[in-house]
Amino acid sequence: MKALAVRRIDPFRIEIARQHPMRTRGLIYANSKIERTLDDNVLQQVANVATLPGIIGPSVAMPDIHWGYGFPIGGVAAFSLEDGIVSPGGVGYDINCGICCISTRLSYEDIGSRMDRLIASLFRNIPSGVGSSNKGMEVGSKEFSQVLTKGARWAVKRGYAPDEDLDAHEESGCIQGADPDCVSRKAIERGQPQLGTLGSGNHFLELDRVDMILDREKADAFGLFEGQVVVLVHTGSRGMGHQVCDDYVHSMVSAASRYGIELPDRQLACAPVKSREGREYLSAMACAANFAFANRELITFLVRQTFEEFFKKSYGHLGMQLLYDCCHNIAKMERITWEGSEVTACIHRKGATRSLPPGDKRLPVRFARTGQPVLVPGDMGRMSYILAGSDNASETFYSACHGAGRLLSRHEAKKRSRGREIIQELLRKDIHAMAASRSTLAEEIPDAYKDVSDVVDTITGAGIAKAVARLKPLAMIKG
Amino acid sequence: MPYTLIDHTADLGMRVSAPTVIALFEEAALALVDIMGGRSSLGTTRLTIEVQGIDRVDLLVRWLQEILYLVEVRGLRIRGFEILYFQDTELRAEAEGAYSREPLEAEIKAVTYHNLQIREIDNVWAATIILDT
Repeated sequence: MKALAVRRIDPFRIEIARQHPMRTRGLIYANSKIERTLDDNVLQQVANVATLPGIIGPSVAMPDIHWGYGFPIGGVAAFSLEDGIVSPGGVGYDINCGICCISTRLSYEDIGSRMDRLIASLFRNIPSGVGSSNKGMEVGSKEFSQVLTKGARWAVKRGYAPDEDLDAHEESGCIQGADPDCVSRKAIERGQPQLGTLGSGNHFLELDRVDMILDREKADAFGLFEGQVVVLVHTGSRGMGHQVCDDYVHSMVSAASRYGIELPDRQLACAPVKSREGREYLSAMACAANFAFANRELITFLVRQTFEEFFKKSYGHLGMQLLYDCCHNIAKMERITWEGSEVTACIHRKGATRSLPPGDKRLPVRFARTGQPVLVPGDMGRMSYILAGSDNASETFYSACHGAGRLLSRHEAKKRSRGREIIQELLRKDIHAMAASRSTLAEEIPDAYKDVSDVVDTITGAGIAKAVARLKPLAMIKG
Repeated sequence: MPYTLIDHTADLGMRVSAPTVIALFEEAALALVDIMGGRSSLGTTRLTIEVQGIDRVDLLVRWLQEILYLVEVRGLRIRGFEILYFQDTELRAEAEGAYSREPLEAEIKAVTYHNLQIREIDNVWAATIILDT
């Protein structure tokens, strides 16, 4: 491929012009500050996705984009069901890594100086860290199949979550078409003991204070108020998803050549959506996605239980309601509007979240007038945001940013945190952090991320979502 | 260890080199285990590993992925590897080590194919492998 032709379209959008072998253009959402973080590797990855067969519209990238493998992190692409492909690498190894927000009726003052004790209780009760398992929530093989096919519905059926949680999940917490027969023994072996665990890396549990309301009407509808304490949980399908992705990347490396698909990078391995390989991957991916929905519900259960013990009140009395739970890494058949008509396409989001505008028929009644809550966590030391899907989201196939986006590699972040006491640095900002490993904390230092405010400025400026509330971190658990 | 860590924004890269392609495969495996914190000084267990791939690059990914599984899921801690049989699409090796349930230091989700090439320049075999962490 020749050098890429990149030009700014408007204050929030950058275009990579189509050139051979790209089948379409690239479209990156970036204000001037985000633009300075874009390097050639990441632009090339957006262009590489544009070479894949059956792509509809542009190869899209969110402002939290960063260099991934194959697809960029922050990439969104739509593929035709007729002649398009599905790519496991376009979803990533942590299938349905996602985030949920649990709102409470508590104000910051209700916890005050007890914050360190509350986060310590959560740290004790929620298994986290490398290879963590949860003996208390282990299930047998037959039951595990139910987890894989039912997702959050399994958690509700087993009494871990109330019925009303389901309305607050993307796809009501269950991706249809899950078939455990498409999942390998190794994937089951890797995932089964890890149900009900947070994991490590960038996964976290965080207590935040609603620092500023940015849209009063939508905030009221979301049940958000200034000073309120909310809980964010970021985790996914653990070893289960890692292995499903690996199994199918491997099988699609051979499939791609059989179907005559040229790959600029083998990590983009794919097969036609209609093919046996494509269908089997989607069935296995749905299993891993459902594991992740169930996993976040189990952690939500442990959060509610910990709060009940701590405050000696029921979680209902504490107003602990699931505000929303959404996927970051997923491929789904979704209705999109493209060139004036509605089509169903296979939407890949790798480090991006869905963002439905007000009035979208897929929204539950509660969010029909506000648009879908879009949760955008920042780094450990700065802000996070809650947004709501907005009208221009149709141009991104109803997708928005998923976080701040990494700026430094894990290796570089570790180097820069040498000799620093990260926990003390955060404590000076009145943020209580606990981590299963010092190494994870070093990798996750605030300087390792872009400023999430620049990401949110871009996505709201482009009309993809509207800002509803800004959150400030109070305490967190890192794996 | 004859490997170096390299920067990759989302993940972790390791650059490995060795005098032969077989030694490269052995060193890459040891590097992966080292990053995971899965080395052992004990050698009470010997295990045969057989892997197939569609070509040499695919074989390297499959080989490393199998070792990741043995260390993470089966709890095997590694003292060393010996590749007994090697072709571009197939290998058989023996792993020596001991089983342990001690926690690992790093969670590696997968070994990726991203920009992976195996090169020989002046009798030195080298590969840069991106791990999803």
